Amino acid sequence: MSMSDQPEPAAQKKRLKALETQAKEAQRAIAELNSRDALKTQFLSNISHDLRTPLAAIITHAEILREGMLGELNAKQRDSVSGIVNGGQQLLDMIDEILTYVRGESDQITLSPMEFSITELVDQVRMLNQPLAAKKKLTIERLDGDELPSVHADRDKLKHVLGNLIGNAIKFTSDGGRIWISLSRRGKNAEELVVEVGDTGRGISRNNFELIFREFAQVDASPSRPHHGTGLGLAIARKFVELHGGSIWVESELGKGSRFFFTLPLNTPRD
Amino acid sequence: MAARILIVEDSTLVTDAFTVLFRQAGYDVEIAASVAEAIELGSAGTVDIMLLDLSLPDGSGLEVLETLRARGRAPHATLAMTGHDDSKTRQACLDAGCADVLVKPLPIGELLRQIERRLA
Repeated sequence: MSMSDQPEPAAQKKRLKALETQAKEAQRAIAELNSRDALKTQFLSNISHDLRTPLAAIITHAEILREGMLGELNAKQRDSVSGIVNGGQQLLDMIDEILTYVRGESDQITLSPMEFSITELVDQVRMLNQPLAAKKKLTIERLDGDELPSVHADRDKLKHVLGNLIGNAIKFTSDGGRIWISLSRRGKNAEELVVEVGDTGRGISRNNFELIFREFAQVDASPSRPHHGTGLGLAIARKFVELHGGSIWVESELGKGSRFFFTLPLNTPRD
Repeated sequence: MAARILIVEDSTLVTDAFTVLFRQAGYDVEIAASVAEAIELGSAGTVDIMLLDLSLPDGSGLEVLETLRARGRAPHATLAMTGHDDSKTRQACLDAGCADVLVKPLPIGELLRQIERRLA
């Protein structure tokens, strides 16, 4: 060993020690961040839950008034009270969306699968959204799917996903447009169901194809944006689809409408 | 005689609203804000319908029903109320003997229909 090599082992040792310290610090920082993130999730869950109670009371009181249980209202009074009920309901839906998201984040969501007809479910969600679509003179049609076998999945979760996609289509399609739902199978043995929800709305630019499925993300997140919401709808939809072993994506061009797709494995009972 | 509803719920905001609603609809209303109070009121055996919130300050709402059933004083029908519908909670309520599980806030028309149906 030459003289010039002498200091090296010591320097290496020192360097190793420094790296070990850095690694430990990084681990501590990660643990700290994780625990803060968990606290934030817990806070979001508690606050959402606590917001529900007074809101539920407000809605119930307003309904009592609207139904004339405390005396008949005139048309203007009834409209005004209806505004309280509708606004309250909208707020409640948003709070529930946050709660659903938080439960997903803390892995509290489990699937309760059952056998059911996907076409019937699509038609049910379509009917539920009909009044909202009619207000904007939009048509919602199911194009195909009558020959499909029943699916084994969590019906409530898929209803939520369909409701979210159709709701978005209504929100972002201007008056007189078209919304459609198409059902098909793909794969070597047609083992995958593909659900498409398409619209003739404003479309989404390619840059935002990934962003829209991320939590809290909105294409236009400015306070002056024309469409409000929690920005959680598609993140929840993605979570529910992925829990089933499927995937979700969008194909779109600005000004030319959007087509949302999600897949669902067929004939594979899951617990 | 008017049917008697026992509201088991710890938020006065909610019980106030329900009290107005049920009194206007012609029912007698009693309120319990805890498991202990609900067991005491329910043990009189005069309750027709119990609206049961699941999370109470001193325990789970289902304890009320279990105790009343053990004493042979269960109301004619118990409707559980929860803020969040999930299949596990629903099953636990049905297993405990609840007639149904309602997700708050239920539209009042629907709530009154549910109660009428259970009294019929």
